[in-house]
Amino acid sequence: MRAPKSFEEGMNRLEAILDQMQQPETTLAESVKLYAEAASLTEYCRNTLEKASLQLDEIDAKCAEAQTPEADH
Amino acid sequence: MAEVISVSALNRYVKTLLDANDLLFDLALRGEIANFVQNARSGHCYFSLRDETASVKAVMFRSDARRLGFRPEEGMKVVVRCRVTLYERDGAFQVYVNDMFPDGIGSAQLAFEQLKAKLDQEGLFAPEHKKPLPQFPRCIGLVTSKTGAALQDIRNVIGRRWPAVKLLLCPVNVQGFEAADEIAAAIDRLDKSGRVDEIIVARGGGSREDLWVFNAERIARAAYRCKTPLISAIGHEIDFTILDFVADQRAPTPSAAAELAVPDRAEYARKLFILEENIHNSIQNKLELCYNRLDETAQAFSRPQMQGQLAQRQQQLQMLTGQLSAAARAKQQSCALQMNHAASLAASLNPYGVLARGYALVQDEKGRICAPDALRAGQSITLCGAKNRIRCTVDAVEEPNESTQKL
Repeated sequence: MRAPKSFEEGMNRLEAILDQMQQPETTLAESVKLYAEAASLTEYCRNTLEKASLQLDEIDAKCAEAQTPEADH
Repeated sequence: MAEVISVSALNRYVKTLLDANDLLFDLALRGEIANFVQNARSGHCYFSLRDETASVKAVMFRSDARRLGFRPEEGMKVVVRCRVTLYERDGAFQVYVNDMFPDGIGSAQLAFEQLKAKLDQEGLFAPEHKKPLPQFPRCIGLVTSKTGAALQDIRNVIGRRWPAVKLLLCPVNVQGFEAADEIAAAIDRLDKSGRVDEIIVARGGGSREDLWVFNAERIARAAYRCKTPLISAIGHEIDFTILDFVADQRAPTPSAAAELAVPDRAEYARKLFILEENIHNSIQNKLELCYNRLDETAQAFSRPQMQGQLAQRQQQLQMLTGQLSAAARAKQQSCALQMNHAASLAASLNPYGVLARGYALVQDEKGRICAPDALRAGQSITLCGAKNRIRCTVDAVEEPNESTQKL
């Protein structure tokens, strides 16, 4: 189980895992292993989104800061 | 006999007579221009005014001529305001023209229409020759009067709308027929300088005659030659000049020309703001979409969902257990049935059952079951019945005979 390179890759893997878990021939032991992988992928994806959201906030804040002095003119 | 006088005295005398006449001092005169000459050095104009039968010499000094809105042409019908006096040297009286108007505008209008038709035919007004104005000019060349209101109007508008642009002024006279050469030369100069990416030829409001110079053919040709996009803004009227037809864009006023020439920074600020907002919204949407997709997928891995998966297996397990125990029970039942059969079969073979029906077993002294042919006379035996035992002694052993056998 390697770490995904991007949010999209993580999501694709998650969806693949879900599909696999729904297959009747998947054993319980395999399901538990997949469940564990899904948990860590979900965490990765959530963190990636949080990070992106934070970055947007930072950029917005920087922009607002740059615009304020001009408004005094 | 009268006094003898010199020619000079005569001419001087006649001149005083003419100058004293109020009518001749300020006269409106109608006629047709003939033999028009402008002195290249002095700039004074010399010509004749004539009608069908007569003609008179006329002079228009440079200072007056330069204010003319049109170029006097051979054969043009005009009305002039003039003073009539004698040119002493030649003894000829002539008119000194202060101002000149095309007669009833008719002939000038005719000339205008003729020139317009000619240039149109040559393709000077062709729409495909018109160049688009630059969206963001850096330097605009102005051909206008240094002192006119047009320059001020243009500066005001551009200062408000797009102050980043540079203005390069090529000052010209915008009045008088000499102005045509200056204006044409200014257009050429700005175009060839390579420093401007747009040219405005402007003149503030004025009478039709004032604006007439912009109908000059040389200005039209200079505008056509010009490789830089050119905007004309002549006067504040709805009338078009020839230049308006040749120009890449025509503006009704100098202010309007300035508005055409540069973008509006307020408008661009607005556009930029909207663009910024859209970009912001779109990234937020993207993020939201990603969150939703993740939430949906993560939902599938939630505890209740997993519990469901487990429950399903549990159910499977339970069903299997149930089936197993049912099978075991069935097996046990069939075994019990088999055993009952065996037991009843065994019971049917029980020797005591025979005794119960009244038969007896023969046992020897030692308790062994013995067959009747093993018995000897005098032997002690025991008869075992169902309910009791009888001790007996064998009296005799007899071979069976015919009679008994038949029994």
